[in-house]
Amino acid sequence: MRNVYVLSADTTKYGKSPLSARELALQASKKAILDAEISPADIQASFIANAFSLAEKQGHLGPIIMSGLGIPDVPASTIESACASGASAIREAWINIGAGIYDCMLVVGVEKVSQLDTITATTYFSFGSDFVFEGACGASFPGLYGAIARSHITKYGTTEEQLASVAVKNHANAMSNPNAHFHKRISIEDVMKSPVIASPLKLYDACPFSDGAAAAILCSEDFLKKTGRKSSEKVLIRGSGRAGGTGALFQREDLTTLNAAVMAGREAFKMAGLSQKDIDFAEVHDCFTVAELVAEEDLGFARRGQAAKLTQEGYTKIGGELPVNPSGGLKAKGHPVGATGVGQVVEVFEQLHGKAGERQVEDARIALTHNVGATGGSCGVHIFELT
Amino acid sequence: MTELTQDASELTIKEFQEGIHEGKIEGYRCTNCGHQQIDIMEFCPVCHSAKLEKVEFSHFGSVVTYTIQLVAPEQFMNEVPYAWAIIQLDDGPKITGWIPFISRPEDLPIGQRVVFKKSYLPGIVFEKGKTGD
Ligand SMILES: CC(C)(COP(=O)(O)OP(=O)(O)OC[C@H]1O[C@@H](n2cnc3c(N)ncnc32)[C@H](O)[C@@H]1OP(=O)(O)O)[C@@H](O)C(=O)NCCC(=O)NCCS
Ligand SMILES: [Zn+2]
Repeated sequence: MRNVYVLSADTTKYGKSPLSARELALQASKKAILDAEISPADIQASFIANAFSLAEKQGHLGPIIMSGLGIPDVPASTIESACASGASAIREAWINIGAGIYDCMLVVGVEKVSQLDTITATTYFSFGSDFVFEGACGASFPGLYGAIARSHITKYGTTEEQLASVAVKNHANAMSNPNAHFHKRISIEDVMKSPVIASPLKLYDACPFSDGAAAAILCSEDFLKKTGRKSSEKVLIRGSGRAGGTGALFQREDLTTLNAAVMAGREAFKMAGLSQKDIDFAEVHDCFTVAELVAEEDLGFARRGQAAKLTQEGYTKIGGELPVNPSGGLKAKGHPVGATGVGQVVEVFEQLHGKAGERQVEDARIALTHNVGATGGSCGVHIFELT
Repeated sequence: MTELTQDASELTIKEFQEGIHEGKIEGYRCTNCGHQQIDIMEFCPVCHSAKLEKVEFSHFGSVVTYTIQLVAPEQFMNEVPYAWAIIQLDDGPKITGWIPFISRPEDLPIGQRVVFKKSYLPGIVFEKGKTGD
C-alpha cells in the first residue's frame, strides 16, 4: 500500500437546511476543492456517502454531483453503510489510492432529511435496523440504543446522570463550532428533565436529524509532490480498520459492546503501529450518549464499565487527558448520516492544523475517528497524523 | 412460466410473519452444530454448515433488555408508550418483540418472564407471564 493523505476537508453547516442533498454535496465539494487548491479536473474518481437520498426521490447521486462539479466523465458511486457510510467511503478511497489505481479522489458525504416529519424520519431510520425482526417489530433507532443503554446500566451500574454528562460535554464543545447543528449550553438537569424518547434515553441523549455535507480530497504522495505542498500541510492516514457485525442487534451475545468497533479499532491501531496513549483526541460515534461510552470501551480508551466515570471526571473534555468529540460530536454538532464519517475527518483536519479556534486541542498531532453504522453492523476506524 | 421455488427447509419472510400471526415462532437450527437463530439465512454463523432445518421455538422466555418508546415508527405510532424488548426464549435463540401498555421501567424488570401472544397487531407481541411460567 502507498501512503494516502488528506489534502483538504471541509463542510457545510449542519442543521435544518432548505437545500437538497445534491446542493449540499456540491457546496461541500467546492469548498474542499478550493481549499486543496486543485482543479476539479484533478479528481479521478469519487465516492458519495449517503443513506437516504431516495427519501428525496433521487437515486444515483454520483453522476449528478460530478456533473455539478463540471466533471461528468469522472466515475462516482454511492457507498451506503447506514451511519458509517462516511468512514466506509474514506476507507474505499484509501484502498483505491493506496493500491495505485488513482492519485486523487473526492469523498463527499451528504444527507438531507429535514423535509420528513418526526414519525416519517423515525420510520426511515428504522430501515437501518434488521427491519424484518427489529424495525417492523416496533424498534425505532433510539429504541435500539435505549436497549443498549439499559444493558449497560444493568451490567455496569452506569447511571442516567452519567449518560447525561456526555451530552453536557458535547453541547459545550459545539458552542465554538460554527458549523454545529446546536449552539446551546445544557446542564445535567436539562438532560434529565427532557422528554423520554426511548427509555432510558431522553431528547438530550439523542443526536438530532440533521442535514449537511462534508467533503475531503484524498491523494497519493506523488500527487502531493505535483501540487508542491509543504510537508507541514500533510495529513497522513496512518491506520484504517473496518469490520462488520450482525445487522440485527438482538442476535448478539453481549449488548454492551459493538464487536465491529473492537475489531476495526484493533486493525487501525495495528496498522498505525500506535497504542491508545498515542492518540491526542478522538471523534467517536455518539449517536446517543451511551454510544460514546461504548466507543471508548470498545476502542480500549477505557476499561469496560469505566468510561462513564472518566467522562464525569473530565477526562474526555477539551483540556482533559483524551478529548473526545471536541467538534460537539453527533450529539451537538449533528448527525447528517452519510456526512458524519467525513465530517469527523474535517474536525481532525482543522484540529491537526491548529485551526479549531476555542475548541482547539493543544498540540494535537495524532487523532482517531470512529464511525458506526446502525447498531454496529458496520464500523470504520481511522488514525490520522500530521506529518 | 416457471415459478421460482424454494427448498422446503427454508423459511421465507412471508412464512415467518404469517407464522407469527398464526401463533408460531419459527427459525433455524443447524443440524451440524445445533446453533439456533431467528433469521433468514443459508449458512450457520458458528460452523458455516448449510445444513439448516426449520424449527419452531418455545413461546416462553425472559427479558434480556428493553426500552420504553414514546416516539415510534409509522406502524406503531398509535401504540405508544410500549416496551420493545430483546427476549431470550427458553429453548433457544433470542427474539425481539413488543409488549403493549408498558409505560414505566418499574413495570418491566430485566429477567421478567414473558410469553408470546398470537395476535394480528403488527410485529411480534409478548405479554408479561403469570408467576410460575
Ligand atoms: C429525538 C428526536 C425524536 C426528535 O425529533 P425531531 O423531529 O428532530 O424533533 P423536532 O424537530 O420536532 O424538535 C423539537 C425541538 O427539540 C429540539 N431537538 C430535536 N432533536 C434534538 C436533540 N437530539 N437534542 C437536542 N434538542 C433537540 C429541536 O431543536 C426543537 O427545539 P425548538 O422547539 O426549540 O426548535 C429525533 O431527533 C431522533 O430520533 N433522533 C435520533 C436520530 C437517530 O436515530 N439517528 C441515527 C442514529 S445511529
Ligand atoms: Zn452450525
